[in-house]
Amino acid sequence: MAAGVAAWLPFARAAAIGWMPVASTPMPIPPQDKRKAQDGFIILNVSGTKFQTWRTTLERYPDTLLGSTERDFFFHEETSEYFFDRDPDIFRHILNFYRTGKLHYPRQECISAYDEELAFFGIIPEIIGDCCYEEYKDRRRENAERLQDDEEMDMNNDVAPLNLTFREYLWRAFENPHTSTLALVFYYVTGFFIAISVMANVVETVPCGTLPNRSKEVSCGDRYALAFFCLDTACVMIFTVEYLLRLIAAPSRCKFMKSVMSVIDVVAIMPYYIGLVMTDNDQVSGAFVTLRVFRVFRIFKFSRHSAGLRILGYTLKSCASELGFLLFSLTMAIIIFATVMFYAEKGSTATKFTSIPAAFWYTIVTMTTLGYGDMVPKTIVGKVFGSICSLSGVLVIALPVPVIVSNFSRIYHQSQRAEKRRAQRASKEAGKALVGKSASPPFESQHHHLLHCLEKTTNHEFVDEQTFQANCMEISVVNKSGSRTSSLSSSPHGLSSCCSRRHRKKSSFSLPSTNNQELSTIQIRERPVSNSRSSLNAKLDETVPLKCDEAYISPSMVRLSAPVATSSDDASTATTTYSQSNIVRVSAL
Amino acid sequence: MAIFTATNPFMSLTDSVEDDFELSTVCHRPESMDKLEEQTKFTKKELQVLYRGFKNECPSGVVNEENFKHIYSQFFPQGDSSMYAHFLFEAFDTNKNGSVSFEDFVFGLSIILRGTINDRLNWAFNLYDLNKDGCITKEEMLDIMKSIYDMMGKYTYPTMMDDAPREHVESFFQKMDQNRDGVVTIDEFIDSCKKDENIMQSMQLFDNVI
Repeated sequence: MAAGVAAWLPFARAAAIGWMPVASTPMPIPPQDKRKAQDGFIILNVSGTKFQTWRTTLERYPDTLLGSTERDFFFHEETSEYFFDRDPDIFRHILNFYRTGKLHYPRQECISAYDEELAFFGIIPEIIGDCCYEEYKDRRRENAERLQDDEEMDMNNDVAPLNLTFREYLWRAFENPHTSTLALVFYYVTGFFIAISVMANVVETVPCGTLPNRSKEVSCGDRYALAFFCLDTACVMIFTVEYLLRLIAAPSRCKFMKSVMSVIDVVAIMPYYIGLVMTDNDQVSGAFVTLRVFRVFRIFKFSRHSAGLRILGYTLKSCASELGFLLFSLTMAIIIFATVMFYAEKGSTATKFTSIPAAFWYTIVTMTTLGYGDMVPKTIVGKVFGSICSLSGVLVIALPVPVIVSNFSRIYHQSQRAEKRRAQRASKEAGKALVGKSASPPFESQHHHLLHCLEKTTNHEFVDEQTFQANCMEISVVNKSGSRTSSLSSSPHGLSSCCSRRHRKKSSFSLPSTNNQELSTIQIRERPVSNSRSSLNAKLDETVPLKCDEAYISPSMVRLSAPVATSSDDASTATTTYSQSNIVRVSAL
Repeated sequence: MAIFTATNPFMSLTDSVEDDFELSTVCHRPESMDKLEEQTKFTKKELQVLYRGFKNECPSGVVNEENFKHIYSQFFPQGDSSMYAHFLFEAFDTNKNGSVSFEDFVFGLSIILRGTINDRLNWAFNLYDLNKDGCITKEEMLDIMKSIYDMMGKYTYPTMMDDAPREHVESFFQKMDQNRDGVVTIDEFIDSCKKDENIMQSMQLFDNVI
């Protein structure tokens, strides 16, 4: 339980007023709490570091915490200073704001810590001076992206709830192949078949020697037509099955069908089916050949298997404006230079620059510094302009490229960070488990009392999951059991049966805490909460530190020795009647 | 030229960051401590303690319903306390503006923790009376009861029956509805509560919360 929540404890306890009138039994007794300057200088004590300033300095900005009466809440009578339990290093900047009117953002501070301090002191970040504003905004944006990444990661790494439908399970297996071995196998199998299919397409066109009764070389595809056809069929069947399964499993079919990956899948398998449907009609065979080209799009199916490919695609998408600018400026330059070259070369004989569009080819080849040499200017004017063309080509292309590269680099590093954080998560969680969450004992005892009040209101008790399951299964046994005390004495070794476990749990209410001490060394699991509640009810001084999140676990075996005896011993304590009434009520339920 | 101003896919991200930016600067400042001391039954020291905790958790000075539910749920990890937190929020938010400021918080606490028996019972009645029409019907009580039972969660002993809230409501009306007209008015409520020893005894629960 976070320490901050402890501040809300009085409120939570006050909210119990809603339970009081509906409870049919009195509430348990709460645990006792052991515990209990005109213009002049204002001393601000921030976690021990003393700052001093004039009263009027602070009152320059009356709509912040320090400038308004809100600071009275932090006034410490004994030392007549204002005490804030906050970070003194960041406070320095906040106080400087009052002094100079300019808020600065220190580069070495963490952005979220700084934001928290600003929010606490009621200062809006917009007034950060121009000198530091850019930096602040950039850091904030990075932080927001990181948080988004974390959320996505959380969504992806959610522990699977036990009751996933088959469809949800299938979808999860497809999207995160590392979740189950079957999914992983399927992932590798499809990858393998994509590779096979693409290679078959390539090898198909390689010349494979001549047939005996022909002089022309035939391609391998024609020679082993049947083999390639079978291979193609097998690949397409696998892809079709995969696509259909994904379609079935998709949570939103329309969204899935519009997604890029599914379009690629469809485009990859369509040519085959269209080819089956069409016959060897001469009219459509030309179109059929074109369709075969689409088979090469199967290679894009690899983007599911490769994160790098996805990053590249995402980069191109995000750099759309830069790419657009590049395209536009190139087009402009091409048209200008092509026109100039055409008119320059118009005079020379047998020139290849027959029209402006024909000159486009020369311009493109020259600007990208390819220089095939199939079209060359012959006149001097042509050569001059040709050289200007090649020089400017270098410049125009070089300009937008760094922007694209930096975008790619940023996205790539982001994905690397996500991978790194995924790896670090495991060690972070291990560290957290070690540190644990220790709340102060008074808080725990009061929280505990609150939960006990709720139990009294509803006449039910909190139990842990295991006990609950056991209870459900053995509910029939409970109904048969007679008086609890007799079964206790008659079954000293019936420790595994849930009846006796429950009996012991009830009787534990009347046990004084001395038994707890012995038991704590022999307990099977961690200290059971029911013990400690009994210790509170018995009004003993030691407040045993509890972990409220721990299950309410049944006590250990040793307890069996004298439960009946101790309940009679407790006759003297005020709580006996209370605990006796507990037992009575329980057996009535 | 459209190309020069083509929208960057990343633009939407920065926009949303800036939007969040604007909303988070809503700030509420409470009344001065002197005024609050007059209007509630807390001493200055107690107000200081309360405010420090409040301000730490909600630097903006107000709690909205989501935060409220979240805070309350941390005290009841096993069950679902959102419905009861909702009813509490409605009861604390006296001016019905969707957020609980420090004043609302402190006024509510002052009544519950330091008020007379009548005040407290009045407050509880106000909590139960969801539509604030002066009487509690069985449906309203059933909603409240269900929300309380929801806080227990699934793992209880004995196993929670589905009609446990309804039975509890029946026994509540048996006790409280004196003229058997199907609703409990404020007078019936206060009267029956004062007659019930258990409830009176439980009221001492609030004597040393702060």
